[in-house]
Amino acid sequence: MGSVQSRRWFLVPGVIFLLVIDMVPLVYSLGVSLYEWWLVRPRDVRFIGLGNYSALVLDPAFRRSVLVTCILTFGAVVVEFLAGLALALLFAQPFRFLRPMRAVIMMPLFVVPVVGATMWRLILHPELGVLGYYLSLLGFGNPQWLSDPTLAMIALILVDAWRTIPFMFLVIHAGLETLPAELYEAARVDGASWLQAFRYITVPLLAYIMLVAVLIRGMDIFREFDIIFVLTGGGPGTATETIQLLNYRVFGLGHMGQANAIGVITLILVALMCYLLIRAVLRTR
Amino acid sequence: MLAGMMAVLAAMALSFAPDAFAQAKTLNLSMLAGFKEDVLRANLPDFERRTGIKVAVDAAPLSELYKKQLLSLSTGARHDVLFMDEPWVPALSEFLLPLDERARGIDMQDFIPTTVDAGAYQGRQYTLPVDPNVQILVYRKDLFEQRGLKVPTTWEELLQAAKALHDPAKQQYGIAFTAGSDVQTPLYMTLLMWSYGAELVDARGRAGVNTDAGKKGAEMFLELIKVAPPAVKSFTFADVNKAIQLGQAAMAIQWASGAKPMEDPTRSSVAGKLGYALVPKGTRQAPMRGVWTVAIAKNSPNLEIAWEFAKWLSGREFGLASTRYPSAISAIHCARVSVLSDPGTKQALPYADALLGNLKLAKGRPRLKEYPDIQEHMRVTASRLTAGELSLDAALKEMDAGINKLLGK
Repeated sequence: MGSVQSRRWFLVPGVIFLLVIDMVPLVYSLGVSLYEWWLVRPRDVRFIGLGNYSALVLDPAFRRSVLVTCILTFGAVVVEFLAGLALALLFAQPFRFLRPMRAVIMMPLFVVPVVGATMWRLILHPELGVLGYYLSLLGFGNPQWLSDPTLAMIALILVDAWRTIPFMFLVIHAGLETLPAELYEAARVDGASWLQAFRYITVPLLAYIMLVAVLIRGMDIFREFDIIFVLTGGGPGTATETIQLLNYRVFGLGHMGQANAIGVITLILVALMCYLLIRAVLRTR
Repeated sequence: MLAGMMAVLAAMALSFAPDAFAQAKTLNLSMLAGFKEDVLRANLPDFERRTGIKVAVDAAPLSELYKKQLLSLSTGARHDVLFMDEPWVPALSEFLLPLDERARGIDMQDFIPTTVDAGAYQGRQYTLPVDPNVQILVYRKDLFEQRGLKVPTTWEELLQAAKALHDPAKQQYGIAFTAGSDVQTPLYMTLLMWSYGAELVDARGRAGVNTDAGKKGAEMFLELIKVAPPAVKSFTFADVNKAIQLGQAAMAIQWASGAKPMEDPTRSSVAGKLGYALVPKGTRQAPMRGVWTVAIAKNSPNLEIAWEFAKWLSGREFGLASTRYPSAISAIHCARVSVLSDPGTKQALPYADALLGNLKLAKGRPRLKEYPDIQEHMRVTASRLTAGELSLDAALKEMDAGINKLLGK
């Protein structure tokens, strides 16, 4: 008993370190969010309580950015999940020619996000881009990917999906590899079709892993910044201005209180999303 | 053994000493990336050789430079000297060294007067002018002559000329400018609104955009988009240049500094075919003044060498060199009359007369601490208008409401 208690003391430095790294900045940020603090007027800092939060809730630009963030998160997660699942199911088949293609599929994951976004910005360029060139050759015209609000959102979703489908594929594929083959054999013997086997065996057994992957990607996309900044800058208009882009704009103009309030609200929204998804995950156990 | 250790320690200390001394004569400069940076870097070795002062250049794109300078200055002067756009001077003046006393030791009379005003705020001189810039009209002389068109003097004439020269099937467009999320977009919108008599902030200190004059300017802006390249809503400063250089646009409203690369035969297919004129008028002629200046952080530990650099950057020698340098994207002119009227300068800058003519009429942006926020609000609202998120009336209402909110009205 005494030795167990004394072992626990060894955790203390690590816990203190984590608390300092995580909690101190968070508490500081929370504190700053209760002030009206504009860097341009350093002597006019005053406590306003929840004034920044109420201003944000009433601000149409903030509400718009929350909606844009939700649309981007939902759209990107759905595309990545479905594509990752399809690829994982395909690579679960015993075809030898698929093995070398696994490395090719993984490649976008190794591209630095800013580099990838810059590359796609060139590909989607209305005059210099290869995509527009080949689409016009095929008779589809030359869509203004980054100038049209709807197309810009679609472009963002697809570029983000391009980069992170490999992650979904990896996680789901790893999960598929652990499923016992006997279940599928038994199902085949009982006359179940491929679709029935997928619905009644694969989905229930993989639900936990799939939800974890969705949770991780959802949190990442909700806080995405670099790809959006490089590809659209939040435009056209505010069609792709997410909470992070708005926060960057507010922070850049020196409104510290407001910027920190946006950060705290982001934390709350991500925590809420995590809570709901984790509840769904735990229900599958 | 002890003597040996002491010798080693002494040698280590001596090896660090020159670096420590060199650091005392190193300046940190906040500079604009991409535009004008090549001009500065090409001439820096000359300054460093003559003064022994090393300059560490920290460059940031235009869209990020104000943010970087604000954060740097407000948190303790990581930069000693700053290449600063004139509308930022009021907001950042809190953190800048007033230069009134020091300026008495240099020839301030040689500066174009309006460029000196660009660095002043509430009666104090905070910056020295380096690069006087103003919006000008660039047009294809050859195309105008072919069609028998006269150089437009009003926006209505410009629109008619643009329509006459607009042929998308041949990738020929009437006029190039920016109309999307780019930082230049609110400046074009403001230019047009000014031309018809509107003010961003009126004499009462309230927003003056949602007026008949403001609406007329915004309507003209939307009309010009119809005769611009299809990608105008994702254009940047560099894209406007490219549209002229590739021979795609018959006209452009561009900052004068962008005209230099348009005349570079190694970069432009229309070098020698361009004409330059005053910005068209609506009810008045009001080209926008945009002077780049040099400022010193008041908390800098290197005030004296920072002043040496500021004098050099705004001086005649750098001015003569910079006006002749073949910049890739954007020139650095010189704010000194003696340099701009030099015959060599007029040869290097074919648009020098248009530059000086427009400067005489140029209008400065509101000298307010809130101005960077106002411009950012205009940028977002203008891009929402051109993206179709807002109707014209709603956009004007939002511009006004946002400006009044920022001014606390």
